[in-house]
Amino acid sequence: MARLSIEGLCKGWDFPVLDELDLQVEEGEFFIVVGPSGAGKTTLLRLVAGLETADAGRILLNGEDVTTVPPYQRGIAMTFESYALYPNMTVFKNIASPLVARKLDRHTIEQKVTAVAKLLQIDHLLDRKPGEISGGQKQRTALGRTLVADPKAYLLDEPISHLDAKIRHELREQFQTLEALHTVGTLYVTHDYSEALALGDRIGVMGGGKLVQTGTPRELFDFPSHAFVAQQLGQPGINLLMTSLTEDGGKTYLRSRDGNLKLILDEEQRQRLNGRSNAEVLLGIRPQHIRILAPRQKAPAKHQMVDARIEQFQPLGSMGIAITRAHGIDLKALTPPEAAHIGAQEVRLAIFSPAFHLFDPISGKRI
Amino acid sequence: MSTLAQDPSAVIVMTVSDPSPKWFTGRKKSTLIVARWVPLALVGLPVLTLLAIVIYPTIWMFYHAFQNTNMIRLFRNDWSYVGWENFATIFQSERFTDSLQNLVLYLTFGTGVEVLLGTIIALILYEVVKSNALRTVILILVVLPMMLPPSIVGVLWKFLLTPSNGAVNHALLNLGLISTPIEWFNAGISLWSIIIADVWNWTALPLLIIYSGRVSLPPAIYEAARVDGASGWKTLTRITLPMLKEVIAIAFIVRFMDAFKFVDLVYVMTSGGPAQSSELPAYIAFQRGIREFNIGEAAAYSIVIFAFSAIIITLFLKYLKKVLKSQSIA
Amino acid sequence: MSETNYKLVRGLLLAFLGLWVLLTLAPFYWQIITAFKSAAETNLTVPTFWPREFFPENFVAIFAEPANFSALVDSFIIATGNTVLSVFLGTLAGYAFARFPAQAGGENLAFWILSNRMFPPVAILLPMFFLFDSMPWGTDSYMSLIILYLVFNMPLATWLMMVFFRDAPRELEEAAYLDGYTPFKAFFKITLPLVLPGMISVSILCWIFAWNEYLFANLFVGTAVKTFTIVIPTFTQGSQTLWNLQMAFSLIAMIPPVTLFILLRRYMVRGLSLGVVKG
Repeated sequence: MARLSIEGLCKGWDFPVLDELDLQVEEGEFFIVVGPSGAGKTTLLRLVAGLETADAGRILLNGEDVTTVPPYQRGIAMTFESYALYPNMTVFKNIASPLVARKLDRHTIEQKVTAVAKLLQIDHLLDRKPGEISGGQKQRTALGRTLVADPKAYLLDEPISHLDAKIRHELREQFQTLEALHTVGTLYVTHDYSEALALGDRIGVMGGGKLVQTGTPRELFDFPSHAFVAQQLGQPGINLLMTSLTEDGGKTYLRSRDGNLKLILDEEQRQRLNGRSNAEVLLGIRPQHIRILAPRQKAPAKHQMVDARIEQFQPLGSMGIAITRAHGIDLKALTPPEAAHIGAQEVRLAIFSPAFHLFDPISGKRI
Repeated sequence: MSTLAQDPSAVIVMTVSDPSPKWFTGRKKSTLIVARWVPLALVGLPVLTLLAIVIYPTIWMFYHAFQNTNMIRLFRNDWSYVGWENFATIFQSERFTDSLQNLVLYLTFGTGVEVLLGTIIALILYEVVKSNALRTVILILVVLPMMLPPSIVGVLWKFLLTPSNGAVNHALLNLGLISTPIEWFNAGISLWSIIIADVWNWTALPLLIIYSGRVSLPPAIYEAARVDGASGWKTLTRITLPMLKEVIAIAFIVRFMDAFKFVDLVYVMTSGGPAQSSELPAYIAFQRGIREFNIGEAAAYSIVIFAFSAIIITLFLKYLKKVLKSQSIA
Repeated sequence: MSETNYKLVRGLLLAFLGLWVLLTLAPFYWQIITAFKSAAETNLTVPTFWPREFFPENFVAIFAEPANFSALVDSFIIATGNTVLSVFLGTLAGYAFARFPAQAGGENLAFWILSNRMFPPVAILLPMFFLFDSMPWGTDSYMSLIILYLVFNMPLATWLMMVFFRDAPRELEEAAYLDGYTPFKAFFKITLPLVLPGMISVSILCWIFAWNEYLFANLFVGTAVKTFTIVIPTFTQGSQTLWNLQMAFSLIAMIPPVTLFILLRRYMVRGLSLGVVKG
């Protein structure tokens, strides 16, 4: 039995936001919903928390229908994007709040709060007010308040998006090590795909009021079911180009609609495209599958060679991004850290063809 | 997904495919947090209280405005319907047109001057006085008159303006500004006495509002202006005044609406006299009903003022809504 | 602009400000010195700009008359009673408008409530007089003024409490629900402490308006109940106005509103500008 399961959830205000969304968080699972801003991620959390009423659909918690249970009886804990710390209370009182609500005795409260604070390394701040601590410490306090509540499920709304990079990485590690989050069931919402890939046991990509695809990070990254999913995951983003299927000399090509880029398909890919009435194909190539060859270097196996010109190069330290132009088509390529390129440099690209992603240009679905 | 076919490199936006699915029935009012009746109950008690207070008077007024009711007839219970006669009497009477004239004077030289002076003084106080403590002290001092009840203001100014041995006349005489005492409560001047007292009493309100508005303007804009080398005058006319436009408007309207209710200073200082020369419309309504016992006409007066205020209030509330929306308060 | 010009303009502006402060304070000066003059000295043909002889007996005389003291008490009872009611009702409605606008009748109802404050009081003065006359409490009572003042104070309280509740982030309340507090408890534990400063300023504002009210009081009460505002103009002896007593009593009656204003002026600007300007 799933810890949290959402069936056909619908919600709209002036326009529909969630449209028959289904989602299951298994026992002990860390489930991440990723999607662009405005996709309805926060709405989803608020519905699960009971802060909004569902227009249709059911929310089940441990198999029990809680769709109409008010938030204060659901036993769900949530951190807010804005942290929502009580400004008039100390950090201690903020964390203790759910325990006080449950009327636990003072000694137990003190014990639990101190333990959680120690775990989150904020035990030295317990007497401060939220106005006197940093953003990262605020987030830890908010997290403390949810952890101490011992809920049936955790909801985390963009918990680290507004923090600076260093703190973000610290907290990311914290999320991985916090046992509680991995024993009950956590629904974590973010717009940052790298958080999703790094933290999620499973990921759901949200779009069009639904989860477009659900799966492990690997599955989603390697086999996106939809061009939208492919575009959401990965930085720099996937190269998408409109092509049409052509046959020439017994070989099957994808020829770009603009420009004159021709890429050969292998047998397996040709099979997949068989029997399609529409010759148009949306081709996706991840930048890491495009390599820039050194002069006179031979193309590695299963790679196709394409002449191109460097338009722009961004060295990022641990890697580099080259924007190249090949036969009238812009292609982003990932380069190793030591690479250095200059604009207008003529190069040859090696494209790893087995990793082509083929999508239907009308529905966006994977072929 | 057709946008995809147009430009594959664009960011794909996925919206709910069906813009009005079966389940979608527009804005829902229900909430899980409190029962449906709770908000109604919270609002109900105050609204009913207010209704109970204002509904009866409103009906009463609209009824008697068309009757020849006076005090005696009211107690004898024998008033009768007279149609629009009360209104005809009002609009034909010189007393009413004179009071309108007075109202225009009061609005221009009372309300108008208050807002003008308030703006000027507020800005001088903020821009020229450098010490924070001094600013606070001056602010408190200039706002003091506003804290007085109208009866004290009226009595105080009646005293100050006493023609024979009043402080104002003697101060002016001593300074050589006048050679004979001004008869502050004679016809033609008494309205000005009221206006003077009112300006003293109420300039503080626009001043306080505009001062606070100025305080909350972001300093970054001014730094940018300084970097651009804008002069003080330019900064004032190009930045400060345009940005305070709404605040000044609110201050003006709040005072403007008070003008239609304005009775108490007239009552305490001149009782509308001499010979009804310093009456304002609201005061006549008050006077007709309460001192002259012509209830029908007083009711008609009230309706005229009521109708006029209703128009202005509606316009004002629309404006207020806009201003609050732009500050995302409403 | 050259340096001397700049200094000149600055000087002129400061002089203007100084003049205004002087003009504002001059009547108070007159009020204070008159309060210390004897009755005879206030009626001299040439007024004295400094009391010849200090006459603090005026203040003694005021409190020697129990009616004067009870006028202050009456004003206090009415102002306080009305403030409690206004703020209580205003808090209920303001909260509903801020948190459940759709369920509570929406924006237009809130604007209707506010509009009641703006209508001229003459419109309700007469009918209310006759209505209250036939009520068990009559016109000449605490009750009549406490109820009447709701007309202008309750809309103000409702409107301002709505603005303050909107300022208090809704998410804090929601966090409290998730902590397990019922809406009722969350309101008292989280929201109320947050709006308390606003609530105090609303109370003070209502209290000052009620304390200073003159027109209704003048018509409705006067025998069993007297507010100080209607008592002050009655200090006369024959046709002589006892200016010294009027000024002395008004000085005393000014103390509460002026003190409250000085202490809490920061919050009150918000109220006076109907929530538009943050103090």
